[in-house]
Amino acid sequence: MDIVVAMKQVPDLQQLRIRNREPVMADVPLTFGKIDKNALEAAVLLKEEHGGEVVVVAAGSEELEDTIKEAMAAGGDRSIMLADDKAGDLDSAESAEILAQLIKQVDDCGLIIFGEGSGDNYSGQVGSRVAEKLDLPQVGSVTQIIIDGEKLRLTRSLEDSVEIVEVMMPAVVIVTADLNEPRIPSVSQVLKAGRKPKEIISLDELEQPAAEKTLTTLSNLAPEVNRKRITIKSVEELVEILKTEGFVGGN
Amino acid sequence: MNFDLTKEQSMIQQTAREFAEKSVAPLVEQIEASHQIPLELFKEAADLGLLAIPLPEEYGGSDAGYDGYVLALEQIGRFSASLSMAIMAHVLGLSMINTFANDEQKQMSLPPGCRGEHITSFAFTEPGTGSDPKQLTSTARREGDYYILNGTKRFITNAAYPGYMGVVFKEAESGKLTTFLIDKKAEGYSTSEPLEKIAMNGGQLLDLYFNDCKVPAANMIGQVGEGFYHLQAGIGYGKLGISAFCLGLAQAGFDAGMEYATQKMHRGTPIGVKFQAIQLMIAEMYEKLEAARLVLYKAATNANKNSRNNPAVFARDCAAAKDIVSHTAREIVGICMDIHSSYGLMKDYKVERLYREAVMMPQIESPSHIQKIIVANSILADYK
Repeated sequence: MDIVVAMKQVPDLQQLRIRNREPVMADVPLTFGKIDKNALEAAVLLKEEHGGEVVVVAAGSEELEDTIKEAMAAGGDRSIMLADDKAGDLDSAESAEILAQLIKQVDDCGLIIFGEGSGDNYSGQVGSRVAEKLDLPQVGSVTQIIIDGEKLRLTRSLEDSVEIVEVMMPAVVIVTADLNEPRIPSVSQVLKAGRKPKEIISLDELEQPAAEKTLTTLSNLAPEVNRKRITIKSVEELVEILKTEGFVGGN
Repeated sequence: MNFDLTKEQSMIQQTAREFAEKSVAPLVEQIEASHQIPLELFKEAADLGLLAIPLPEEYGGSDAGYDGYVLALEQIGRFSASLSMAIMAHVLGLSMINTFANDEQKQMSLPPGCRGEHITSFAFTEPGTGSDPKQLTSTARREGDYYILNGTKRFITNAAYPGYMGVVFKEAESGKLTTFLIDKKAEGYSTSEPLEKIAMNGGQLLDLYFNDCKVPAANMIGQVGEGFYHLQAGIGYGKLGISAFCLGLAQAGFDAGMEYATQKMHRGTPIGVKFQAIQLMIAEMYEKLEAARLVLYKAATNANKNSRNNPAVFARDCAAAKDIVSHTAREIVGICMDIHSSYGLMKDYKVERLYREAVMMPQIESPSHIQKIIVANSILADYK
């Protein structure tokens, strides 16, 4: 049984600068989002325990062919990707349609893992949309995955409770960042990453055309930060202000 | 000309950066206070392939070249000069063995070194000489199938960790420099306590004592009289490594300077925004850092071919890079200190440690004038 991980190529947020509240994208390298790396780590740990292959699926601009090496270095065995410069800015509906088609190419797919949101716009929709398109059960907010024969036992961390559910495979599992600590790839794994099997298709080669874009981003601004500029003359005054602002003294 | 890193180079850089941030940064104070690098940290670095980046895969290395090595050590150098110095000396030793030793010697010493079970060293300097091979006094005297080693070596990194080291002696009969591969557990081998330094005390420097230390003649690397070539190549690899972590130190100085310049306020405005004097310092740090990085990356890329095929050019490039980058580190960290002013003298600020470390850089692995003599001799050779 193979495990599929869906990953999204996003700008490296650590290297992003904000100027006049707008992100400066020039020269920012592309990478995979943090929670996508958690999803991949979960798949690799399950593979190490149960066998099979970890297949990474992704859609994005042509730079994806390079970015995918990060996933291969971190334990992915092979990749199926749509790498096309016309696919550099997909919305959730487009991504879901494309990823569903890529996942259909995996013959023995028991488990499909998504991160709960991408590193850039965090819509949190794609996993659910793909489950719907593939007519598979889906479980979200997952912090632990156990394979038990033909079933999955999944722990969901909810706001006030922890829920354990069972689901038959194949299924779509949407994980949170609390799941694990992604491994650091070794230098040898980095050098071998580019030699792992990959299938690359373009938008024109899809069996069905990608869905029409349904969402347009009108602006993307960092929140305004206004310093309060309060001058404090004593510790008592500081404590009083912190209490007023709700930072201390609450129950 | 293409100044972009390949994806693989970026990923090696990222691997080293993550290791440094997650595993090294929390231990920096402990390493400096205890004068000791935990052996588990070497093992963790080895598991990531960071202790043998340029070594061949057949001996357990990563085969990612000296460019990959420099990119990685720069990242570790941003956090710990002590660990970087230990890795530098280790890779120096492994690289020298890989270049000159026979297969049996390589099989004996390289795989455990690449796995981080052994931490390798190289020793030439003595109390009476640091750069003049003719003043070497330690001797190797042949007795049947063995050599008997006597003498003292000074300022040797990694000398107390388990593993092998390449040591240059004067072969007694011929008087010529000759290198031996020595197990640091050998009878007759001992070390001083770690020497107290101005900084980087986690990267131990020790004196070595050879007192009738008996090693098999089969441990001789190459032939009698080849020690000078081993020294020349070995310190070339060493200078490349030092330059790499000097660049990381310079980057750490730049980052600390920028942090202070953009957070320290004067009447509600950051000093870096308000005062042109600070802006000039920011520009100077940036210009120096950019220039040093270009020189070193070029030297590292060329080292992949020149270290074997063109040793004179390799020695020149490494000497020039070390001279430029080590001074750059000292200058940038000095500017960072000026930006901090008297706050920089306080141990609460990172620049206090960086400053003490940066002062050391031009002095280690031969000082500036020796590097310049190597560069000048290489250039003059083309005018004969």
